Amino acid sequence: MNIVVCVKQVPEVSDADLEINRKGSDIDREDLEFEINEWDNYAVEEAVRLKEAHGGHVTVITLGDEDCEDVLRQSLAMGADEAILIDEDGFEMSDAAGIAKGLHGVVKDLSFDILLTGVQSSDNSWGQVGLILAELLGLPYASLVVGIEMGDGKATVFRELESDTQEKVELPLPAAMTVQTGINTPRYVSILGIKKVRKIKIKETDADELNLSEDEIGAEGSCVTSRKLVIPSIGGAAEMLTGSLDDICNKAAQIIQDKGGLV
Amino acid sequence: MIPFRVSYWHIQPVWIFYLLAIATLTVLGLGIAIHVSVWRKGIKRQSVSFSLKDIFKVIKEGILGTRIFKGDVAAGTMHGLIIWGFLILFVGTLALSADYWMFPFLHGSFYLLYSFCLELAGLMLITGLIWALIRRYVQRVPRLERRFEDLLVPVWLLAVAISGYLAEGSRLGAQSPEWAGWSFVGYGLSHLWSGQKEAMSAYPWFWWLHALLSMGFIAYIPFSKLFHILAAPVSIYLENQPLQIIPVESREEEVFSYREAIFFDACTRCGRCVEVCPSAGAGEPFTPRDFIAWAKQGLLTDYHLLNSVDRFKNWMEQRGTENGQFDASKIWHCTTCRACLEVCPVYVATPDAIRSARSKVVEQGTEMPDLLARSLKNVYKYHNPWEATKKKRAKWASDLDIPNLTKEADGNRLCYFVGCTTSMELRAQALAQSFVKILNHAEVPFGTLGKKEPCCGDIARRAGEDGLFEMKMEDCSDLFQSCGIQDVVTSSPHCFHTFRNEYPPYMTLREPDEQVSFRVRHYTEVLAELLGKGSLKFENSLGLKVTYHDPCYLGRYNRIFDAPREVIRAIPGVKLLEMTHHRENSLCCGGGGDRMWQEEMDGDPKMSEIRMQEAAATGADVVITACPLCLIMLEDALKTSGLENKLRIMDLNELVAMALELK
Repeated sequence: MNIVVCVKQVPEVSDADLEINRKGSDIDREDLEFEINEWDNYAVEEAVRLKEAHGGHVTVITLGDEDCEDVLRQSLAMGADEAILIDEDGFEMSDAAGIAKGLHGVVKDLSFDILLTGVQSSDNSWGQVGLILAELLGLPYASLVVGIEMGDGKATVFRELESDTQEKVELPLPAAMTVQTGINTPRYVSILGIKKVRKIKIKETDADELNLSEDEIGAEGSCVTSRKLVIPSIGGAAEMLTGSLDDICNKAAQIIQDKGGLV
Repeated sequence: MIPFRVSYWHIQPVWIFYLLAIATLTVLGLGIAIHVSVWRKGIKRQSVSFSLKDIFKVIKEGILGTRIFKGDVAAGTMHGLIIWGFLILFVGTLALSADYWMFPFLHGSFYLLYSFCLELAGLMLITGLIWALIRRYVQRVPRLERRFEDLLVPVWLLAVAISGYLAEGSRLGAQSPEWAGWSFVGYGLSHLWSGQKEAMSAYPWFWWLHALLSMGFIAYIPFSKLFHILAAPVSIYLENQPLQIIPVESREEEVFSYREAIFFDACTRCGRCVEVCPSAGAGEPFTPRDFIAWAKQGLLTDYHLLNSVDRFKNWMEQRGTENGQFDASKIWHCTTCRACLEVCPVYVATPDAIRSARSKVVEQGTEMPDLLARSLKNVYKYHNPWEATKKKRAKWASDLDIPNLTKEADGNRLCYFVGCTTSMELRAQALAQSFVKILNHAEVPFGTLGKKEPCCGDIARRAGEDGLFEMKMEDCSDLFQSCGIQDVVTSSPHCFHTFRNEYPPYMTLREPDEQVSFRVRHYTEVLAELLGKGSLKFENSLGLKVTYHDPCYLGRYNRIFDAPREVIRAIPGVKLLEMTHHRENSLCCGGGGDRMWQEEMDGDPKMSEIRMQEAAATGADVVITACPLCLIMLEDALKTSGLENKLRIMDLNELVAMALELK
C-alpha cells in the first residue's frame, strides 16, 4: 500500500515573542526556530504505521525553500521512503489553492492508495490545502481524521466531531484525508536516526518543471489575497498585572476571589 | 602403618564414574559456552588490559569476600563459610586426583593434616549453607527472594556435603584404620553402623550417591545463579577497566555491551541494590535487581546458542513473558543515582546498563516518554530543556555586570558555566546570583558565556540519546576552544560530571586540533579553595543548625563529600547535623537520570519527600545542598510534605552569601 504525505515547515512559536514585519505581510522570521507542522507530523506517523502494518511505500512532499529539507529528513528518519521538495520560487503569496496546485503537479503522477495531509498548518491555518488537493485529484475525501482502518479496496475512517463523538465513514481507495492531532503519538526522531538518512537523495522540482504558469500560482493566480497581518489591540477586559512575583500572585488571587473563584 | 587412603576402594566399575565425569564436564562446558557466546554478542569487544592490581582486587573482594562483608557482616560470614568450605573441598578433591594420577603425596602425617582440614571445610560448608537457609526461610531477610532456585542450590550442596560425610563414615566403619579419629566427623558417623560388614554394604551406595550429587551440581552451575562463581570474578576485574567509547554512528544493533552481559551473569539477586534504591524505596515499580533479571533474560532470548531451534526460542520467549513483572517502560524510573553500584558485591553497573537500554528505546522512538521526548527536542532546538530562547539564558544576570567570555576571550579568567537549569529556573537562579556575589567578594577574575552558553549534553546522555549528546559535546568543545577557555566551574554536579568524566574519552575520537582539554571544578571545590586561601572570612555567627544533602553526581559519582562540609563547618555558629543517609549512602532527591524532565511517576511518598522527612528528623533548621536539581526537587517536597514552617532549603552558595552578608 502506497501513501503520500504532504508536509509543511512552520515557525515554532510556542515560546517566541512574535513581531510583525514592517510591511505587515508576515511575522518577523529572524531568530525563530522551525519545525514540521504539528498536524503533518501526525500524518507522517500515521503513514509510517500503516506501512509497518500493511507494507508499502511512503512518499513525503513539501513546498518550500531548501531549509525545508530538515522537515523531509525528519520524515525519512521516521520511516518514510522517499522525499520530494518543490521549490517555492514562484509560489510566494499563493493562497491555499496555489499551494495545492503545486502539490498536485507532483502527486498526480504518483501511484498511491492514500493521500494524507494535516488538517491545517499552525502558521496560516487555512485548513484548505488538503481539501483542494483532493478536489484537483478527484478523490473521495475525509477531514479531521482520528483513525484509519484498512479494508479491501476501501478504508474505514473515523472523523472527530463535537463533544467526544466520532463519525465512522467508508472511503473507496485511493482516497485523500486530512489528519487531526491525537490520531497517534508521533515517534521520537533521534539524531542518529537523522544521520542515517543523510544519504537518501531528496528529489527536487519546481514550478517550471511542473508546467505551472504565473497566472496559476503566486499572487496573480490567487483568488484570496492576504492584505495585512495585525496584532489585535488589547481589549478592556484584560488587565496586565505588574510588580514582584509575590505582588502579582496576591493580586491574581484577589481577583479570582472577587470573581467568586476562591471560596 | 603409614596413614593413606585407597582411591576407588571397592568401587566397581570405575569406568562408569569416568564416563559420568566426562558427561558432567561436557554439560558444564556447553553451559559456559552459552554464556560466553552471549557475552561475545555484546557491543564491540574492546581489548581488556592486564592489571595485577585488579587481580588482587578480585582476590581481596571476591574470594576473601571483603566487599560482601561491607554493610552486612552476617551475610559476609555466611558467604565466607560457604565459599571457603567449598574451595578447600574442591582443592582437596583436585589434590586427591593428583595423588592418584600423577605423584602420590597424600600419606603419613601430611595425609592426616589433609583429612583434618577437609573435615573442617565440610563443617564450614554445612554451617554456611544452613545459615543461608535460615536467613532466607526463617529470618526471612527482606531483601532476599525465595525462588525455587534459591532453595534448590543450598539444599543440593547440603546433600553433596552430607552424602560425602556418610560415604566417608561408612568407609571408616568398614576399614577402621587407627588414624580414623583425624576425620572426626566421619569417625563419629562410622558408629552409625553396628559392624564392619554393615558399614561395608552401605559404603558403595553412599559413595555413588555422593559422586552423582557432586557431578550433577557441577553440571548445574552454568544454568543457575551459581554461575556467579565464574562471572563474579570477571565482573570485579572489569570494574576498573576504562569504558570504550563507541561513536553513535558506529554502533551495532546490539543493546548491551559485553561487560554489561558479564555483569548480568555475575548478579546473584542478593538484593542489596533493592534496599538502597531510592525509586524502589518510594514504592515505584522499579528495582535494579528486576531490571538486571529482565535485561539478562532478554539477552539470553536474543542470543542463546540454541536459538536456531524454533521450539527452544519460543520456550525462552514464553519464559521471558512469564517472569515479566518488569518491562521496558520501567527503565525511565532509574535516577542513575549510583546507590546500587555502591553496595553491589560484584559491581553491576546498573546506571550504565540503564543508559544502554534507554538508547534502544530512543532509537526506536515509538515508546519514548512524551515529556522527555519534548525536552530532548528542546535541547536540540533551543540548546536547553526548558524551551527558553537564547535571550532568556542570560536574564538571571541582567543586574550583575559579568564579563562575557565569548566577547572578550580571556583564558586567565575562570569560566563560570551556569548551566541550563540554573539559568532558567527561578528558584535555581538564586544559586548563580549568590555564587557570582561570592566570586566578586573574593575578587576572583571570572566571566560567563552569556547567552551563547550551550547545554553540556547531560540530559541527552542520561536519556541514552547519544547522537544528541555528541552534538552538544561538540558545541561546547568548539565554543571553549574558540574562547580559549581553560578553567571551568559549574553550578551543577551534572554538568561537572559530564565535562569531567564523559568528555575526555570522546576527545580521543576527535581530530587532534579539535581536542579540547580544560580543568573543570564544581563550585563547592572553588568555595573550599577560597576558604583555604583565606579569601572568605566569616565574621558573624549565624546560629543555625543545618544538614547537608549530598547530590549523587557530586558525591557518589565524583567522591566530593568533604569540600561542602568544610565550607559549612567554617561558618561560625553553624552546626552541621548529618542525616541517616549521608556521604556515599545519600538518598537521591528524585531529579537525576532525567526524572526532572519526565512525566511524574512518583510513588507515595515521593523520593524527595522521604528525603525531607529524614532531613527534618535531624532537627536542623536548614537543608543545604549543592545542585540546582536537588534544590528544586527538595524545595517542592518541602511544600508538599507540610514541612514549610519547620525547614528551609538553601543552596550552599546562598548560605555562604548570607554568612558574608552579601547583598
